[in-house]
Amino acid sequence: MRNWVIGVAAPVLLLVAWWFLSADSTDPFFPPLQTILVRFQELWLFEHFQSDVLLSLGNLFLGFVIAAAAGIALGFITALVAPVRWMLDPLIHFLRGIPPVALVPIFISLIGFGTQMRVTSIALAALFPTMIATVDGIRSVSNDLLDVSRVYRLTRKERVLKVLLPAATPQIFSGLQVSLQVAFIVMIASEMLGSSQGIGAMTLLAQQSFMTADMWAGILLLGVIGFLVNILFSLLRRRVLSWYIGSRRLARAS
Amino acid sequence: MKASVRPYAFSIVGVAGALVIWQLLAEAKVAGTALPPATTVFTTLATILGTGTFWSSLGATIGIALLALALSAVAGVALGLLVGSFESVKYATLAVLEFLKPVPPIVILPLAVLVLGPTAEMSLFLVVFGCLLPIVMQTVDGVQGTDPVARDTARSYGMGEGEILARVVLPSAMPYIGTAMRVAAPAALVVTVVAGLLGGGPGLGQNIYQAQAAGDYAGLYGLVIVLGVLGLLFQGATRLAERRVLHWHESYREVVPR
Repeated sequence: MRNWVIGVAAPVLLLVAWWFLSADSTDPFFPPLQTILVRFQELWLFEHFQSDVLLSLGNLFLGFVIAAAAGIALGFITALVAPVRWMLDPLIHFLRGIPPVALVPIFISLIGFGTQMRVTSIALAALFPTMIATVDGIRSVSNDLLDVSRVYRLTRKERVLKVLLPAATPQIFSGLQVSLQVAFIVMIASEMLGSSQGIGAMTLLAQQSFMTADMWAGILLLGVIGFLVNILFSLLRRRVLSWYIGSRRLARAS
Repeated sequence: MKASVRPYAFSIVGVAGALVIWQLLAEAKVAGTALPPATTVFTTLATILGTGTFWSSLGATIGIALLALALSAVAGVALGLLVGSFESVKYATLAVLEFLKPVPPIVILPLAVLVLGPTAEMSLFLVVFGCLLPIVMQTVDGVQGTDPVARDTARSYGMGEGEILARVVLPSAMPYIGTAMRVAAPAALVVTVVAGLLGGGPGLGQNIYQAQAAGDYAGLYGLVIVLGVLGLLFQGATRLAERRVLHWHESYREVVPR
């Protein structure tokens, strides 16, 4: 009980302290929290909501979904067909070594600054974590399971859909979580590099024109989005993997 | 022996195939000058490797990443031990840590550039911001995962709190910290590049930005290739270091083949 009080009180105290300590701040870098919140409301609710916020979120969602679908599909092919795996392995590991954001300039030079470039950058950068996790997930399915499915003479389709996919799902979801974080980062980066639309672009422009309160408002919004997107994903994961989480809890309790 | 050669043969075919496809696409001018042929990129890369500016950029990138990593490790483990040892501190910081954890450093990049300017300090700050929290969280998990029996045993042997922390709690948290460091090391490199690319901090990120802005596409591709190789080296080095430092732990002990 006492711990919960502390848990709730600490962040509230922090915000209150920020509010009062910054109240008559004249420091150009750290404007009063009140000013930031006023600008937050003016900017994002709802003047630029459709033109920038929805645009950014739409790119994020589209890029992530493409990356997830392609990553899982490619992961299955790579894991199940040995020659493909041998061929792609060094390439994948090399591409994974490149910081995802460093790919954005390449896509700008290839496709330009439009929405297409941003979605492509997000999708391609977010593809690898899911793909690699899928390959690992399938490769680590226990041989007993595979033997049993062979004894029951499951067809190839049944084996993939009923045995391999469920067994690899926990790992796939860890990969998806990393992909989502990468997608979020690349979303911001693709907007910061020379585009004029989107939350990232507005935040960086505000910084470059010394509109500090606007910049803070942008940072707050991006922080909240990063947090909420992660929570939504955790809820989805808990739903899809409830059987797995339950079995883990049982295994730990015994 | 024969079976183990085949994967390598396929790997070589895969890499060579990718290079040939790249060359053909570029020769066909599918993207105009924006996609330079592989041959041009590699000759440009060779020229870049001969310049002093490249090596000083590379040094700056690696230096910033490693220094920030070291700072985050020391501060992160200390904070983690503190948060993990006291229930009240843990609950007080829980909400803030949970909120900040999914927020990548790129979000506060505009603020860092505003306050610190396009400097090495700015890059350092961003990398520490990105690496610190995962290390803190893992250390907390490690501290809380300490076997209570081992802790009680140490206490009944008359060890003081400080000694228990150093001799029992810290070693048992080491594998957690090792995992955090393995994740943090490549991330440190990535954030350093991002700080250079978007914030103008020194290093290879800045060079990439300049190459793109100047339309030097062959140089751009060459630098991205360098980053890929560097990323691989970082991953390999941290894995090796982790195994070296934690060789005594049961999850790292090597199985002796019979």
